[in-house]
Amino acid sequence: MSTLKLDLENYKELLQEYIKTKDEQALYQAEQFSKHSMQQNISPEEIINVHIQSLQEIYPDMPEYIQSSMNFLLETMISYGLAYQEFQTLREKQLELKSEISVAANMQKTLLSTVKPDLSDIDVGALSVPAKQMNGDYHHFVEDGKGNLGIAVADVIGKGVPAALCMSMIKYSMDSFSGIRTDPSVILGNLNRVVERNVDASMFITMFYGLYNSNDHTFTYSSAGHEPGFYYYKDRDEFEEIDVPGLVLGVSPEVSYKQYEKRVEKGDMIILLTDGVTECRQGDRFIDQEEILHVIKQYSHLPAQGIVDQVYKHFERLQDFQLRDDFTLIILRRNV
Amino acid sequence: MDFQSCVNIKKEWDIVGARQLGRDISRKIGFGTVDQARIATTISELARNIYLYAGTGKVCFEALEDMNKKGIRIVATDDGPGIQDISQVMEDGFTTSGGLGAGLPGVKRLMDSFDIVSTEEEGTEISVVKWLR
Amino acid sequence: MNLSIDVTNNEGVSNVVLTGEVDAFTAPKLKDTLLPLTKEQGHVVEVDFQDVNYMDSTGLGVFISALKSTKEHGATMRLVHMQDRVYRLFKITGLTEIMNIESTVQGGM
Repeated sequence: MSTLKLDLENYKELLQEYIKTKDEQALYQAEQFSKHSMQQNISPEEIINVHIQSLQEIYPDMPEYIQSSMNFLLETMISYGLAYQEFQTLREKQLELKSEISVAANMQKTLLSTVKPDLSDIDVGALSVPAKQMNGDYHHFVEDGKGNLGIAVADVIGKGVPAALCMSMIKYSMDSFSGIRTDPSVILGNLNRVVERNVDASMFITMFYGLYNSNDHTFTYSSAGHEPGFYYYKDRDEFEEIDVPGLVLGVSPEVSYKQYEKRVEKGDMIILLTDGVTECRQGDRFIDQEEILHVIKQYSHLPAQGIVDQVYKHFERLQDFQLRDDFTLIILRRNV
Repeated sequence: MDFQSCVNIKKEWDIVGARQLGRDISRKIGFGTVDQARIATTISELARNIYLYAGTGKVCFEALEDMNKKGIRIVATDDGPGIQDISQVMEDGFTTSGGLGAGLPGVKRLMDSFDIVSTEEEGTEISVVKWLR
Repeated sequence: MNLSIDVTNNEGVSNVVLTGEVDAFTAPKLKDTLLPLTKEQGHVVEVDFQDVNYMDSTGLGVFISALKSTKEHGATMRLVHMQDRVYRLFKITGLTEIMNIESTVQGGM
């Protein structure tokens, strides 16, 4: 209360000076006054009250109708004051939520973290960037010590917290399967059962699972409705879509996934992605496959990680640095 | 001054009557212009809630006089459907009026103390107090 | 982006005509309209995609839950006049194998 009284004197002087001089200086100070009032949580009706009191003191003979009109104005300001206070509280709540989400996002990062394998035979590049704080994309590398590298790339419907929660479930299920059998078709079949039992009817997950055997350089893979990746033939300098049929995880309880195998030659590349890459929009225009492949080709002299980073930079710029969907891109290239 | 005066709320017009009586009482107690306006807004909110959600009810006023302080108590009572989830209606941003009404959180901000008792199918009683400073 | 949903009911058949985009913003509205229609034994729900030029995975989720609901309640759902871009989404996700879909271009992509 005392600060407000102090401000009344201040306000009265400012008002008086302004009425006399019409000086910009006084208006600038009025601006400062209103900012200061906001910091002190002083609502608009109180400022009007200060105005009325100042007027009364400056003009003791102020006509009654002006007094009444000011009271009328004060009455109309009450709801604005309340709305402002509500806004303040909501803003604090929002900050609280934001910090909670960033804690959760960090937990998720730790939980879903995967180590990019360092193999002599294959060069691996991987990047996953969430559109919001939490990532609904997931990729994971598993090495079995016998020369096999398992690669999972998944995308949960939607973005943000619900997608991230779902992803954590996938991660735990995958961990529990590890060491049993690593056939991609078997892994997808098992995951499908878990997802079907545990998620909401409108939720689903797409996943591509591949197994690279560095002993004989074969790549075995299955897909559960995942965005098709690409295969690059070094000798022909051509890309081919890895288009494999398979139902998304979580729709039907029993699904058997087909498994495919490919022999990988020296310099060939396997490109895996999520639809955040192919669904990139530039204004109203969608970016087509050709463009992605063009960018990959343009940087193909770089190591796999370099290509991945450059593709990301390219699409980030196309989207005005505002990702609309989570972005995940993995490139594997046979070195020797 | 009457120990307690009430206004029955049946139609929208009664909200104005309740405001008028509440303002008169608070002026007599000695509340200034700003607080009178706040008390009137509180009465509007409480009376409108009765009118919109319960149909009928009443708003009562009581002048309070403690050892060294004076104030006003406003009690709004109805026998409407009751409020199912009180914490929800007390939450900012929930107001069914689309953010335009002050809602109950607004009433709580305008007053010094706030209490609400609601039983489903039986009704709601909201009691608020504002002290003179 | 907007989506308008027109439903006409005719002797056990509901015709749902969609115009606009099915995305995270419009999907809840579509879900609220579509799901109740799938809960009647023997009912046929036909969804017209003629004027849908964009759909994202949230929209796909709505049709997956509608499909599950038709199976549970003994109703059927048909998706007709689907455009290439939207059809591609159903094709990739393997849903063309388990849903009754008629695209404008036979064979899709």
